[in-house]
Amino acid sequence: MYIGVDVGGTCTDAVLLEQGLVRASAKVPTRDDLLATLLEALDMILRGVSAETVERVVFSTTMITNLIAGKKYDPVGMILMPGPGLSHQRYRYPTDVYIINGAIDYRGREVIPLNLRQVDDAAHALAGKGYHKIAVVGKFSSRNNRHEKEVEARMRWNYPNMHQELGHRVAGQLNFPRRVVTTYLTCATREKYEFFVRSVQQALQQRGIGGNVFILKADGGTLPLESSLEVPVETIFSGPAASTLGVQALTPPGETSVVVDIGGTTTDLALILSGQPLLASRGATVDDMPTHVRALAVKSVPVGGDSVVERVGKEIIVYSERLGLPYCLGGPLPTPTDALRVLGLTRLGDVEKAREAMDTIGAPLGLPAGEVAGRVTSLVVETIAREIEGMFFRWEQEPAYRVWEVLQKKKVRPQTVVGVGGGAAGFVSQIAARLGCDPVIPPYAPVANAIGAAVARPTLQVTLHADTEQGVYSIQEEGYQARLEEHPFGEDKALELAKNWLAKRAARYGLDGDLGRVEVTRRDVFNMVRDWVTVGRLIDITVQTERGILHYVNRGGTGFEE
Amino acid sequence: MRNKRTGLIFFPAFDWAISPTHPEREERLLYTRDQIFEEGVLDLPSIIEYAPRLVTTHDIARVHFCVPRVQSQVTEAHLIAAGSATLLGDSIFNGEIKNGFALVRPPGHHAMRVVHGNRGFCNINNEAILVEYLRRRHGIRRVAIVDSDVHHGDGTQDIFYHDPDVLFISFHQDGRTIYPGTGFTTELGGPGAYARTLNIPLPPGLGDETFHYVVDNLVLPVVKDFQPEFIINSAGQDNHFTDPLGSMRFTARGYAEFTRKLNPHLAVLEGGYAIETALPYVNLAILLALAGQDYSYVREPENWPSQFQDSPERVARVQRMVEQLLSVWETRDQVDLEKIFGAGTFYQRRKQIYYDTDYIEEEQQEKVRLCPSCPGYITIDSRADRGYGRPLRVFCVSVPFSACAACQGEAYEAYEQAKEKMSHFAYVYMQDKSTDTCLAFEREKGQEWVSEGPKAGE
Repeated sequence: MYIGVDVGGTCTDAVLLEQGLVRASAKVPTRDDLLATLLEALDMILRGVSAETVERVVFSTTMITNLIAGKKYDPVGMILMPGPGLSHQRYRYPTDVYIINGAIDYRGREVIPLNLRQVDDAAHALAGKGYHKIAVVGKFSSRNNRHEKEVEARMRWNYPNMHQELGHRVAGQLNFPRRVVTTYLTCATREKYEFFVRSVQQALQQRGIGGNVFILKADGGTLPLESSLEVPVETIFSGPAASTLGVQALTPPGETSVVVDIGGTTTDLALILSGQPLLASRGATVDDMPTHVRALAVKSVPVGGDSVVERVGKEIIVYSERLGLPYCLGGPLPTPTDALRVLGLTRLGDVEKAREAMDTIGAPLGLPAGEVAGRVTSLVVETIAREIEGMFFRWEQEPAYRVWEVLQKKKVRPQTVVGVGGGAAGFVSQIAARLGCDPVIPPYAPVANAIGAAVARPTLQVTLHADTEQGVYSIQEEGYQARLEEHPFGEDKALELAKNWLAKRAARYGLDGDLGRVEVTRRDVFNMVRDWVTVGRLIDITVQTERGILHYVNRGGTGFEE
Repeated sequence: MRNKRTGLIFFPAFDWAISPTHPEREERLLYTRDQIFEEGVLDLPSIIEYAPRLVTTHDIARVHFCVPRVQSQVTEAHLIAAGSATLLGDSIFNGEIKNGFALVRPPGHHAMRVVHGNRGFCNINNEAILVEYLRRRHGIRRVAIVDSDVHHGDGTQDIFYHDPDVLFISFHQDGRTIYPGTGFTTELGGPGAYARTLNIPLPPGLGDETFHYVVDNLVLPVVKDFQPEFIINSAGQDNHFTDPLGSMRFTARGYAEFTRKLNPHLAVLEGGYAIETALPYVNLAILLALAGQDYSYVREPENWPSQFQDSPERVARVQRMVEQLLSVWETRDQVDLEKIFGAGTFYQRRKQIYYDTDYIEEEQQEKVRLCPSCPGYITIDSRADRGYGRPLRVFCVSVPFSACAACQGEAYEAYEQAKEKMSHFAYVYMQDKSTDTCLAFEREKGQEWVSEGPKAGE
């Protein structure tokens, strides 16, 4: 049996799946005492079930997202080696930043040597200011990590207790500013995240659950809980990923759909294209800071069931703020939920109070409550529909760097609008009508997130970059760099090497035997020609374990494997 | 029209090359990609990246006479490169961006009006296609094109040589020392567009200081005086001190300064083949300059600023040239054009054009109608010898977008006449920019093709 648990900001949802069927589900408020919350949810779904039968538990959590949003993380100092390029004035962060000499170019060659005196001075200054954690990041460090490692060694010599995080180990993709932020946040949240992991382990232990434990990442893949300690930031935004996977599990395979998760104050949108959740082309943005964290393409729209509705002059406006519950549930002001209540599209709250709320808006305009309710819902529907169209448009507008990529661009529109979350029921049919799609509210919609967590697959990726002229290669995800042993080294060998690393990485994460198909998602080979002679090759290969979900989940009947 | 953002289309065409070891190959913008990605400039709020789009064959036919037809001269990569320029043009006119950078391959500034093949790595002229597109689509007239490639922008010059509403300025390494061997101070435009073409051939080896002397004392004042509605920079980067084909000594920062001063609406990448030592830095610097960002930290590894001292004798030569050209510009309306170009109803010139990539020798007889009320229509009798088979002879008629009715009528007569003559021309073309209609006649099949631009609202 599989367990999925989504620890959200307000609610913690849990489900127990047995052979593709939802055996039990629970929804409990998330309290400050995380351990108690987890135990409560687990106890509800495990009633009458033996803990030994649980093979697998997957958690998704907003814990890191909230830590970062609340800036409740540890102070981290920075030592950066940006070298030439953008103005160094850009590298200002809400902490102490020391910029030192040293530069590497795009092929990993040293352009400006490191200055160890500056390392000592920076370390001394940071230590003097009381920092215990330092992020060390260099431009192009993923092409050559020597400078970062030299800084690390030097600092460890002088300050053995200083915790250091190196950019090339955290984020190997190109984009220095994102690497800086990702390294900084990793360094800042590691300790607090460890506390979360220990609470989870304690809860499971107390209930005698001994199966494999995973954590959901923002890209919809899972990591073993213990391994996730290395990359706490990857767990940000796993909530939306959980809902999206949940929808994927609850709807027929291969469909192109929009997932609409309408909450109290925000509506999260995600796309499933031909049955696969769409990944964002760039890393997630956390607290206004762009990072390298791979995430599903999720758009958060600041409108929800509890948004404040007001009349301004002759106009009705839906604001992005929430000032408490909907009027029909005893709140202070009219909301879209009141409109739905009046139209009979929800059973929440008191219909008389809802009518009263609509009348306060409609009376000065001479509009009956029903008419006001209609207008309010259309406003919400229109806002969300426009954002959905915008998402598809932006997806079509993704840059393309090859002729074939430009030529194969096509217009895709969704077939279905799938609603999950509390406020979904009332709006989804109207959103679907507006977009010319079929509305779907899947069974178990309120706990789709927990279902998504339960069926998420472990995902691992390996990106190999080889420069045969210089005879070096690197594995982006591992921060590993070494010399090429084999000569000549061609595309086939590169692919083999990448696959070996994938297997090695899987073994390290305790995932061997469960890899599924290996997909090659990138295969670039560039001949390097100097003076009309080919002097080497630049090879980029990305391999990953199969993406997707373990099971589809059925309302009745039997579950079916993909 | 000008708001804050800079549009970028990066189209490195990683799957397109002229041939595997040709300078114009897949690898060319690879390191530029690495640099731009690693710097994170695409995350800057002042820069917005667009997906490229394809230009239509009609947009090309409006500018070029492609022999035998457009489809036989272009690959999809060409359509994308030109389409990127027009897309950015649209975005500037609809107010989404203030300026743009078409960081695209393949280049185009050696492509002339008649296209028999590839010359100087170019098949179609991205800037010229943009100009005629903008005139059609957005109703502008006056455009300035400044070509900062180390090679003379002879294609662009050829296309606009008789167009009084296009100012074309090219500074480049002296044609006696580099391809294509043209671009001298005496090439000043035809009788209807005198001094709208200005060439500054620079002695090899000169650096940023002289570069900016030319920019400050000639390029900027002339462009300002011309009052263009749209400024294009043909942003070739082979004046860089590390370029393998050129012998100039400009730096990335020199290019960025120039971009800031010229403040073009659109920069379009042309040449530049120091793919490791120059392009990553020059492209970054130009992009930052367009976006109004600080580029003073961009520095190529090999650059020691004090390394280059321009030879005083050569600098003096450039200064004299600038003075002379400035006076040509200032007195352009007072000169006796008959004295220079002769009198009569037509001005004609013969041209020998060599296609270095495709080994084609072309001979042209170009005639311009000297018309008092419009720039006059142009006819070209072109004969291309590929070194095998019979030379291909074609006849082309081009009617400018601001043509008068009389010229338009005469032009169609010339087109019909060329169709009639039994033996001479395998293909006859008509390009009427005033009605946005292009015709092509194939003698062997006795068939005519028509292409028309989109009607209003399309």
